Amino acid sequence: MINFLQNVIDALSLGSLYALVALGIGLLFGILRLVNFAHGDFITIGAYSLILPSTNVVATMVIGSWHWAVLIPVVCAIVVVVAMATDVFVFRPLRRSSAPTLMIASFAVSYMIQNGVLMMYGARPKAVNLWSALTTQVTIGGLREPVLQIVTIGTTIGLMLVMSLFLKHARWGVQMRAAAEDFLMAQYLGVRGNFVIGLAFAVSGILAAAVSLLFLAQTGALSNVMGVPLALFAFVAVVVGGMGSLPGAVVGGFLVGIVTTMLQAYLPPDLRVFRDAFTFTFVIVVLLVRPAGLIPSRSIAERV
Amino acid sequence: MTAMLALADVEVRYGRLVALRGLSLEVGQGEIVCLIGPNGAGKSTTMAAIAGGVARVAGSIRFEGTELPARKPERIARLGLSLVPEGRHVFGTLTVEENLRIGGYMRPNARESAAALERVAGYFPKLKERWRAPAGRLSGGEQQMLSIGRALMTNPRLVMVDEPSLGLAPLIVDTVYEILLELREREGLTLLINEQSSHRILRFADRIYVIRNGAIQLHGTADELRDGEAIKAAYFGFGASVAQAGAPSGAAA
Repeated sequence: MINFLQNVIDALSLGSLYALVALGIGLLFGILRLVNFAHGDFITIGAYSLILPSTNVVATMVIGSWHWAVLIPVVCAIVVVVAMATDVFVFRPLRRSSAPTLMIASFAVSYMIQNGVLMMYGARPKAVNLWSALTTQVTIGGLREPVLQIVTIGTTIGLMLVMSLFLKHARWGVQMRAAAEDFLMAQYLGVRGNFVIGLAFAVSGILAAAVSLLFLAQTGALSNVMGVPLALFAFVAVVVGGMGSLPGAVVGGFLVGIVTTMLQAYLPPDLRVFRDAFTFTFVIVVLLVRPAGLIPSRSIAERV
Repeated sequence: MTAMLALADVEVRYGRLVALRGLSLEVGQGEIVCLIGPNGAGKSTTMAAIAGGVARVAGSIRFEGTELPARKPERIARLGLSLVPEGRHVFGTLTVEENLRIGGYMRPNARESAAALERVAGYFPKLKERWRAPAGRLSGGEQQMLSIGRALMTNPRLVMVDEPSLGLAPLIVDTVYEILLELREREGLTLLINEQSSHRILRFADRIYVIRNGAIQLHGTADELRDGEAIKAAYFGFGASVAQAGAPSGAAA
C-alpha cells in the first residue's frame, strides 16, 4: 500500500511536469494553430542558462548559484525573451502561413537551439547540482518522499491556478481566450493580434522555465536535447487531452505521466524496456475511443 | 456631401479568383446604406476589405478622409469602424459579458468601458438575462444581438452588418432591424448593411447598391428603386433594364 502511494506521488510529480509542458504547447496551439516543437528547447535553454557558457566538461554555476528568489525570475526572464524573440523573428513573418508550415518552422527553431547549445556548451552532458536540499526525504505517515516531488506538484498546481485566474479575469486573459477561439474576429474588435500572440509566447516561456528548473533539480544532468522527450510526451498529452483545450492539456499531461510511472512500476521486469510502447498503445486506444481527445475544444469542434 | 466612407475601384482576389473587380461605393454620415446581391456577389468580401480582413489588390478605401490600411483589422477598429460579421462569430466559450467586454478593451479607461457596457446592456434586455451564460448557448437571434452589442462596445461611428437576417425567424429579423434603427437615432450611427433580399431593405434604407459579380450594378435611393423592377434586373443581370434605373457608379457588366 505504502509502495503504491509512493508510486502515485511519483506519477503525479511526473504528470505535473508533462502537464506544464503540455500547457505551454496547448496555449500556443490554441491561439496560433502552431504545434511548437521548439517548446522542449525553451526548457533546455532555461536549464543551460544557469551555467557559464563554456565547452568545459565541468559545469560552472553562475545564475545557478544565486538565491532562488533571484534565480527563478532571472531564468524566467531569459526563457521569455528567447520565446518572444522566436515569435518576432520566426513566427511573425509566417503569420499567414498554414499550420504545417508553422510546425516545420518550429522544428527548425528546435534544431537551431539544440545546435546552438552544442556550439556554446559542448556535446557532453554535464552534471549540475541544483537545489540539492530538495532531494532530502520527508516522512509523512510511513511515506518517504523527496521534498522535490511535493514542490513539483505544488508548483504545478500554483501555476495552473494563477494561469486560470489570469485567463478568466484579467483583461489580457479574456482577450487571449477570444483570440484563441476566433482570431480574426478578435482583431475586428480591436484586440491587438501580435500583442496577444507575444503574450502567449511569454506565458509559455514562463511555463518552460518552471519545467526546466524542476526537471533539472530532479535529473541533475544537462544535455542539449534534454527538452526533446519532454516536448514529445507533452505533445502526445495535448493530443490525448484534446487539441486546443487547456484543461485537456492538463488532464492529458497528468494521464501520460501516471500511465508511464505505473507501467514502470508494475510491468514485469522483462517488459519494462518497452514501457513507452505500452504508453503509446494506451494513447492509441484513447484516440480510437475519443478521436477529438478527452476534453475536446469547443471552438475547434464548431469549426469542423 | 463628402462621404464618410468611400470605396473607389477596389479589387480583391483570393488566389486566382477575383472577388471584387473595381468596386466603388459611398456611405454618407448618418445614412443607412444597403448592399444587396446574390450569394457570392462579393458583399461579405466588400465588408471584409473595409474592415481589414483581406488583402486589397487595388483601389482605395477612405474613412472620414483617411485611407484605411489593408490587413490591419485592429487598427481599423480603433478608427471607429466596426463589423458585425455574417454568421455572428460570437466567442462561444466566453460568457455574454466577456464577449461584450472584448469590444470595450480598447476604450481609454475602465470607467468608460463600464459605462458603455451598461448602456449597451440597456438596448438588449434579453442579453442581460443571460449575462453569465456562454455565448455558444444563446439562440441565433440572441447571438445576433450580442454580435451587434459587441460591435457597439468599440465605440464606432459606422457599423457594418453582414446579413443580419441570415438564419433568423422573420419576427426576430424585425426586432434586429428595429434595434438597428433605434441605434441610428440614439447613437447617431451610420450603417452599412448587406442583405440577400430587398423587400425589407426598401422600407428603411436611405440608399441601395446592387452588387453582382464583384461590382456595383445599380445604385439609387430607396425611393427611386421603390417598385423593385430595376433591382430585380440588376440582381439577376438582365442587361437592358440596368441602364434606365439610377446612376450606376461601378462599371455595368
